[in-house]
Amino acid sequence: MKNIDARTPVSQFYLDKIKSMHDEKVKLNKEKLAAFGGSYDTDDHGFIYFKDFTFKPDYLPGKDRLEGAKNIGENLRRFWNEIPVYIYKDSALAGAWAGKFQDFVEVGMKRETDTPPELQKIHKKYHMWANGLGGMNHMGPDMNIGLREGLPGILNKVRYYRDFNHPSDTDFYDGEEAVVLGMMEYTKRHADYARQLAAEAEDEKTAQHYSLIAQTCENILAGPPATFREACQLIAVFQSADRTYFLGGALGQLDELLRPYYEKDTRAGILTDEEAIWILASLFYNDTHYSQVGGQTPDGSRDLTSRVSFLILEAAHLLHIPYNLAVRVYEGMDEKLMRRALEYILEDGSGVSFSCATGIEEGYTRQGHPRELARMRAKVGCNWVALPGIEYPLQDVTRVNMAWAFEVAMEELKKDPEPTLEKLWDLFVHHLEIMVDCIKDGYDVHYEKVSKIAPEVVLNLFSHGPIERGLNAAAGGVDIINLNMDGIGLATVADSFAAIEQRVVKEKRLTWEELYTALEHDYKGYENIQLMLKNIPRFGSPESLARDWAKKISLLYTDLVNCAPTPKHHLRVVPGLFSHGDIYKHGEELPATPNGRNAGDPISHSAEPDPGFAAGLTSFSPTLKANAVAMVQPGYGNSAPLHLDIDADMLKNHGGIDTLAALIKTHNEMGGTLINLNCITKDQIRRAHADPDSEPDLVVRVTGYSAFFASLSKEYRQQVVDRYLSE
Amino acid sequence: MQTGTIFNIQPFSVYDGPGIRTTVFLKGCNLRCLWCHNPESWQIAPQLQFQEEKCVGCGNCFKVCPKGAHQISERGHIIDRTLCVGCGICAQNCYAGALVLTGKRVTTEEVMARLLEDAPYFKNSGGGVTFSGGEAMMQLEFLKELLIRCKEAGIHTAVDTAGHFPFEQYQKILPYTDLFLYDIKAYDPETHRRLTGVDNHHILENLPLLLQNGAEVIVRVPCIPDGNWQDMEQIACYLEPLPVKQVELLAYHRLGEGKRKSLGMEMETFPAPSVKEMEGLLETFTKKGIPAVYNR
Ligand code: SF4
Ligand code: SF4
Repeated sequence: MKNIDARTPVSQFYLDKIKSMHDEKVKLNKEKLAAFGGSYDTDDHGFIYFKDFTFKPDYLPGKDRLEGAKNIGENLRRFWNEIPVYIYKDSALAGAWAGKFQDFVEVGMKRETDTPPELQKIHKKYHMWANGLGGMNHMGPDMNIGLREGLPGILNKVRYYRDFNHPSDTDFYDGEEAVVLGMMEYTKRHADYARQLAAEAEDEKTAQHYSLIAQTCENILAGPPATFREACQLIAVFQSADRTYFLGGALGQLDELLRPYYEKDTRAGILTDEEAIWILASLFYNDTHYSQVGGQTPDGSRDLTSRVSFLILEAAHLLHIPYNLAVRVYEGMDEKLMRRALEYILEDGSGVSFSCATGIEEGYTRQGHPRELARMRAKVGCNWVALPGIEYPLQDVTRVNMAWAFEVAMEELKKDPEPTLEKLWDLFVHHLEIMVDCIKDGYDVHYEKVSKIAPEVVLNLFSHGPIERGLNAAAGGVDIINLNMDGIGLATVADSFAAIEQRVVKEKRLTWEELYTALEHDYKGYENIQLMLKNIPRFGSPESLARDWAKKISLLYTDLVNCAPTPKHHLRVVPGLFSHGDIYKHGEELPATPNGRNAGDPISHSAEPDPGFAAGLTSFSPTLKANAVAMVQPGYGNSAPLHLDIDADMLKNHGGIDTLAALIKTHNEMGGTLINLNCITKDQIRRAHADPDSEPDLVVRVTGYSAFFASLSKEYRQQVVDRYLSE
Repeated sequence: MQTGTIFNIQPFSVYDGPGIRTTVFLKGCNLRCLWCHNPESWQIAPQLQFQEEKCVGCGNCFKVCPKGAHQISERGHIIDRTLCVGCGICAQNCYAGALVLTGKRVTTEEVMARLLEDAPYFKNSGGGVTFSGGEAMMQLEFLKELLIRCKEAGIHTAVDTAGHFPFEQYQKILPYTDLFLYDIKAYDPETHRRLTGVDNHHILENLPLLLQNGAEVIVRVPCIPDGNWQDMEQIACYLEPLPVKQVELLAYHRLGEGKRKSLGMEMETFPAPSVKEMEGLLETFTKKGIPAVYNR
């Protein structure tokens, strides 16, 4: 048997096909950019922009949006029957999604009407526009359900349980049935389209190519997928459907899902490794759904790394467009997979992210779950992890901007004739508690409303429980509901507290009055004070006041979130620290802060020190940064990611892959949850920032997701550049 | 417990021995190399550094200096080093970070607390702690206690030294030092004196003695055109019979110049060698079977 990690000698035939998909993607991306105002700051999803396509929704009488499973399901079904068919000539798989459903219809909870006014008031005061209410999709499906049952099997299951449960209102099952039928009809349309292309083909080879696509689609309409290619085609159909509806993007443990098909097909001599790579590349061309490779079986007895894990990495590397794969890292793992992933990162500039078992799994056991379950928690979102098909974790949809709690506290302190640091802290605690409680109240409302307004009609089909019980995943459909709450602005607040403690309280170089005045003037005319406040050992520096503050704030935040479930429905809430890339947006309206930050400047990133925190300490500080992020992990299995933007030139002299591997292993051991890595040269990032078109291929990991650098807005590009150039 | 003066603890240092290391820079040096990159390390006492480009001209330092050492001359803002006593008051008041007092008295306990934070990186990368300087051996008792405590914590230790001490002093730390990074700067005693201020008889004697006593040694040779270049053949002959682990050839570069200026010191500059010259030099060593490397 060959080594599972042998690099595949891919023939020119397949290399050409993969290259062609790459080029097509870059071209489509340019077209999309032109159509969408020059930039977009989210995932570089794989949708195809059909310029002339329009859709007319059927709203129920008296409604101005789609509502309920049936209404949504039937409209989705029609949508999938009306969008143009798409098969790229060099892809092994058929289908594409045509942009998100919400761009064509009104659907989902609405801020104005579905949020109680008393919560709206708090949202406004603390600028909590990302408050979890109406959050959709952020869970992980179990694709094995789809692969085992196939589309017809899922359809039968829906029908069986509708009869079995015999609900008085069949809305839920009607909606789910419409969704499966829609997915099947979409598949059928592609089978027919492929037949037509085969008939029109000018040569035998092309005809065969399209015939095979048609046959594959027809086979997955007849039963569960039987081959590797059929399995991937089914996943592609799922990806297209899932993305359409609220941008679902979670896939699961991709290597394990496909391993049985790979083994069976290669044994039967009907699949070669290079063909598998091409099919996988076609899957990544279809969409950037999040999946994981590596890890352990639930009982910890077997490493999940297989030949398929390596083929997945090879496919992504060869295609070289944005993709979202994670390698699970755990203590005692066989490092081959991690090292291969690192080799590709060094070659490509970015690549997989590293999901750390210590933080993810041990933290999850702290929620009271058994370790065996914790091992199954796969990384399936930009920062989020989920038990495939059995958990509704709603991560990444809330942002508690702690800098606002701090700002409101400062404003109140100003009225106090004898301000002290202790008073400021107490006020901060008070306001942070209001924010956290507001999210909890909001989650109660979400729980009450979302299943009626916008159920997870796609993901329910691929989860354990919703169909069996006739319940939406968010409301008892799946076994575990643990709603995440992300705190942000940690370093901004920690550095602010530390600056006040050092300059005002300890050294007495500044009075409270002088501080207030400088802040009110946004430091204009008070640049000296700004420098004084900025120039303290900041979060990330060893033995700093700011570090102690960051720990204290993280602990406070964790306690506030953990101390009680939601007040009304007693749903579990779990703390995380993740800002996504929205640090500019969250800083826009925030006045100047005592860490020397000007009004409107971005806040700090996730649980990270600010760029440049180590200036004067060291010129290259990945370990300091990694230590800092490990130190402030909330510790309950949800992530507070570490971004490492490493200068590739520098790394050459710093031990290359060995060094990166040691960094990753150590961060995992220290309790880290997720590591995102970019490895490009400073020159390249400078060049690309100055002229994005000069590097149309450059892919970077922005936060948890990866994107073409050239498609990001100037602010988002700046974010990556700042992280780089500050090192 | 010993106390000592250090001027930096540098995490993620990978030039000073195997793996990811943390380097502790001890202050004080008994050589005065003309090309020194760490001139702030020469005196054991704290020294004031002034990075003019960071100065925003706020005038704080003029106001607070008890000695009137900050002055305006025709060259702009200068520090009269004869007046400065290194109290650091001006640095505390320089919010722009232009003035920095280099050097801090610390206990071994404090240093160990920092080092232990990075211990997991050492374990996972085969790294450890390197004691450098200045000249690490200048604060021998402090160094020895740190080495012992590192060994107790299972941490790999390296000592960076220029070798200019009686051998008895090395014997004191030999049992706790896993690796020596040992500088050979010239072969000819006169050249050595001209370049470093001292002759090299200790240095050339100590290396074979260390090896005889079972030490693992990486030799580092700075390669300086118009400095020690003419000695290279002899250095290679000297090293040829010695069982050193590796010989690193380090191309001279001018990083130290800015620092000298910030300390108010003059310095001699040398031409930097080209890659081709360095590769030629490498051959001089490898041809003799010496395990030499040159990292660009
Ligand atoms: S260190 Fe002290 S004596 Fe020297 S310049 Fe600064 S304030 Fe004056
Ligand atoms: S205190 Fe610092 S910034 Fe101000 S004049 Fe002195 S050196 Fe310049």
